[in-house]
Amino acid sequence: MRSTWAVCKREFISYFTTPVGFVIVGVYALLSGLYFTGSFIIYCRITQNPSTYGYDAIPEMEEWMLSPFLVLCGQLLMFIGPLVTMRLLSEERNKGTMELLLTHPLRDREIIFGKYLASLGTLFVLMLIVGFHLIIIGSFTPIEPVVLAFGLVTVFLMGAAFFSMGLFISSLANNQVTAGTMTFGIALVSWILGLMGQDLPETIPAPDTWPAGLIRAAEMVYAIFRELVVSLPLDAHARDLAEGIIYPHDIAYYLLFTSFFLFLTFRTLESRKWRA
Amino acid sequence: MIQAQELTKRYGSITALDKVSFEVAQGEIVGFLGPNGAGKTTAMRILTGYSPATEGTARIAGYDVAKDPIEVKRRVGYLPESVPLYGEMAVRHFLRYVSEIKGIPRHGLQAEADRVMSLCGLEHMGGRIIRNLSKGYRQRVGLAQSLIGNPPVLILDEPTVGLDPSQIIEIRQMIRELAHNHTVLLSTHILPEVSMLCQRVLIIHNGRLVAQDTMENLVGPEDGVVRLEVDVRGPREKVESLLSELDGVQRVKLDGAGPCFVVEAAADSDIQPRIAEAVVRAGYRLCGLRERARTLEDIFVDAISVDEGAQV
Repeated sequence: MRSTWAVCKREFISYFTTPVGFVIVGVYALLSGLYFTGSFIIYCRITQNPSTYGYDAIPEMEEWMLSPFLVLCGQLLMFIGPLVTMRLLSEERNKGTMELLLTHPLRDREIIFGKYLASLGTLFVLMLIVGFHLIIIGSFTPIEPVVLAFGLVTVFLMGAAFFSMGLFISSLANNQVTAGTMTFGIALVSWILGLMGQDLPETIPAPDTWPAGLIRAAEMVYAIFRELVVSLPLDAHARDLAEGIIYPHDIAYYLLFTSFFLFLTFRTLESRKWRA
Repeated sequence: MIQAQELTKRYGSITALDKVSFEVAQGEIVGFLGPNGAGKTTAMRILTGYSPATEGTARIAGYDVAKDPIEVKRRVGYLPESVPLYGEMAVRHFLRYVSEIKGIPRHGLQAEADRVMSLCGLEHMGGRIIRNLSKGYRQRVGLAQSLIGNPPVLILDEPTVGLDPSQIIEIRQMIRELAHNHTVLLSTHILPEVSMLCQRVLIIHNGRLVAQDTMENLVGPEDGVVRLEVDVRGPREKVESLLSELDGVQRVKLDGAGPCFVVEAAADSDIQPRIAEAVVRAGYRLCGLRERARTLEDIFVDAISVDEGAQV
């Protein structure tokens, strides 16, 4: 446990002894702040004159502004995340310091958890920025505590899940730019899939001329494809949670996603024993 | 203290280490000698638990490297060839960090960092950022990290490579002092370094251990063989042929790029006056004739050429 903490502490401090940490925090604050300011101004205008914006009454602040903002904060983590995770293991390998770690009395899991906890530490710093925005909202209007709590948990779970995938990719690459690019690419694909998933119809009609067996097969293939596109993207599970609606499968998804990639990272590090 | 039995390491079809066996007793300082790519680093990486052997076993202080890697790593201080350092850290923070992952109790972290800094002459460098240090000082920091926890075994992979002459002297002096209470396995391809520091030598070539003995036995006189340096001015082939034809001469070779011939002959052959006589009678100028001790370079070249001959 002490070794895990030592690895975590060194890694976390190294984010902020180089410009990397400040770039991450700065970009995240800028992007989330821009969205927040824009939506806050619009919401204020809606509250003054709802009918101008097509509303019969003032919309719920949680539903109109808070939940989308929290989902966006989670989505932003998918694009900022590669900057956090790309260096975790690939830099150690690239600089040769992996040899230092692996020839000292450290277990693989202590290295992996240490690194992962350091990335969660950075996530916590980013969450402080989200919290700062929530304090601003709270000073104008009371926020439903359940929505607030689950919103923050959602952002954290999304970030934690995405960072675990970034850690895994970092364990595969020898170069942090490669790791970052791969992680960013996956984030982009996941985001596009999420957008696609919102508009996909439940079923698509097959031509009547097709035999019944082929139609059933096509429907089954489409159903599987749709399920994957709807369920796989990380942000697809965030919307309900951010509105304070808890589905155990959403939380289970994030926890399983995180465990799966931590497990893969462990196996990758362990593979040196039979691969090298 | 260190036992390697039939260590073999294969990378696909390439055999980097081929059934290498050796032992290093407690308190010994042993040189691991070999040309680049001979397998020295591979063997050291296996001994430190960084990379597993394909076959064979390695034990450090009685612990099997494959079965008890954590126990082994607690007892080994390792300085890899390219010193692994975190450039953005200050020396003292880096050494505290290494102390922490080495399992030094929390209250003793600073004392341990100070101890190794003092051993390696880094007392005034504690606050310096590692990336700003000279190569010599970075090497010292690397050596300091290997000494954390006072491990009984030190494995040093080419500790003086890339240093300037004064830094080399300092690091060698440091290693000599460490050898008083550590078992040291030192890899190098600098032959004088081994002569200066080591009690025993392991010579590795093409992944195979081709010779191992104490320095005294290796450089001492071979049984019944005398080695002479003969400085003759004359046509090289003719002089070589003249010397080779003398009774009792076993081998004649040119000494590097110089004008001297090295003649190996039976010790009881009374060869020196006969060489002088033959050279003068042939009309060549004899500028020097003296007995030469066997150097480590001779042993190294002999061991490697015997190995290459065996492979052909």
